[in-house]
Amino acid sequence: MKQWLLACFLASHFSFAWAEPVSQDEPWLMLEKAAHAARDLSYKGIFTYQSGENSRSIEITHMNSGQGEYSRVVMLDGLPREVLSQGSDIVIFSPRNEKIVIEKRRGKNLFPALLPVNLDAVKLSYQARVSGQERIAGREGVVVLLEARDAYRYSYKLLTDKEYGLLLKATTLNEGKEAIEHIAFNQLNLLNINDMDWFKPKVDPMKPYVMEDEMPASVASGNGEWKLGALPSGYRQVDHIKRKVPGKAVAVNQLIFSDGLSSVSLFIEPLAKGARPRVGHTMSGPTNFYAQVSSGYQIVAVGEVPQATVLQIANSVNFKK
Amino acid sequence: MKDQISALMDDEISLKDAEYLYTALKANGESRECWQTYHLIGDAMRQSPVFKAGLRDRIMQQIEMEPAVLAPRNALRDAGTAAANETRKTSMAWSVAASFAAVMFVGLIVLQQQPQQTEEIMPLEIAQHFPAEYLQAHQSLAPSSAAYYIQPAAFSENSR
Repeated sequence: MKQWLLACFLASHFSFAWAEPVSQDEPWLMLEKAAHAARDLSYKGIFTYQSGENSRSIEITHMNSGQGEYSRVVMLDGLPREVLSQGSDIVIFSPRNEKIVIEKRRGKNLFPALLPVNLDAVKLSYQARVSGQERIAGREGVVVLLEARDAYRYSYKLLTDKEYGLLLKATTLNEGKEAIEHIAFNQLNLLNINDMDWFKPKVDPMKPYVMEDEMPASVASGNGEWKLGALPSGYRQVDHIKRKVPGKAVAVNQLIFSDGLSSVSLFIEPLAKGARPRVGHTMSGPTNFYAQVSSGYQIVAVGEVPQATVLQIANSVNFKK
Repeated sequence: MKDQISALMDDEISLKDAEYLYTALKANGESRECWQTYHLIGDAMRQSPVFKAGLRDRIMQQIEMEPAVLAPRNALRDAGTAAANETRKTSMAWSVAASFAAVMFVGLIVLQQQPQQTEEIMPLEIAQHFPAEYLQAHQSLAPSSAAYYIQPAAFSENSR
């Protein structure tokens, strides 16, 4: 009898050992499916964004019938703003006074396509585990917790559609595991369409449409005046541009850092004579800001990351003597 | 091209129709040279005073009339009389006094401006003065999941 129990115990142990690698991969596979579903499926729905007192309903129509991604996003609350995108090119139509201003942007990883298709970088800084089920917007979903491995990033509670894999809900959790931002579908339908009739803005046809004044920006190469010290773990520089900013004579350097999911902008600019430097820390929803002055340069770090991260990135700038 | 430049100068074609010419003038060295040459020819033909006959003679005459002081220092040394030394001393004393006064003046101005300047470069606490332009620049290049849809909307509402 004793031997039989021991055999059972060993067997169960072995089966656990066998099962473990599978269960570790499973949440990542679900997240990968969510990343693909948001880009490859055609769907229409309404989701709500909520952070602090800021809450808004947004309608999204997304189509991909094998010829690339097209989407139209309409703000249902407040000003009738619209975001139309084709691939990673984004055009924003927003009413401003008596005009509709058209802004061109490049975007990526916008809800529900929050996760990148390649999760390798994310795996280094976060761990994923399945944690129950939830029903939302009439859909059954699986909860995947994406937990930060350190205090330099937020954690996320993600709900993915059981059937289609699409991300149904994302909750951002701060270092203390408190929810600081929610974004969730209230209504979601898969589409089977091929026509493009829906792909046009309807902001306000009575007003003139004007392009925004584009500020020249160029990809910067090299920097003689400073170098970067140690960055918070997992973050790497993904972009560096020089851009002209209204009201500033000298071009501002904008460096972008990412851990695969969250990103931080670092601004470095020579402090103009007579201009009041900015210092200190502040936050708005999930976004933290840190500003300081060093060797006659204004340094500002901004990102949807904890305070420690903007602080360390701003402090990583060393000026060559 | 040369015919067109000539026509443009003579107002035979309007500037509006010749926008491409203007661009060519800006870009092309040969066209620009041509433009300048034609203007020079035009000035000459209109008998601008500069190009009147006997230009060379007039220049030479002008040079003759100019008084030429070739070695002023030597002249001064030769005339080394006591009177000259005296004037030099006083002028030196004056210049010392003048530079001293200048230093005092500048010092006074700096002193007067000092308190104003320190007030001017008092740093701004971003907690009190929200750095909206930095947030907008961040969002436009590194959009985050959701705030991207939300925050710029708040900006356009603010800017109304």
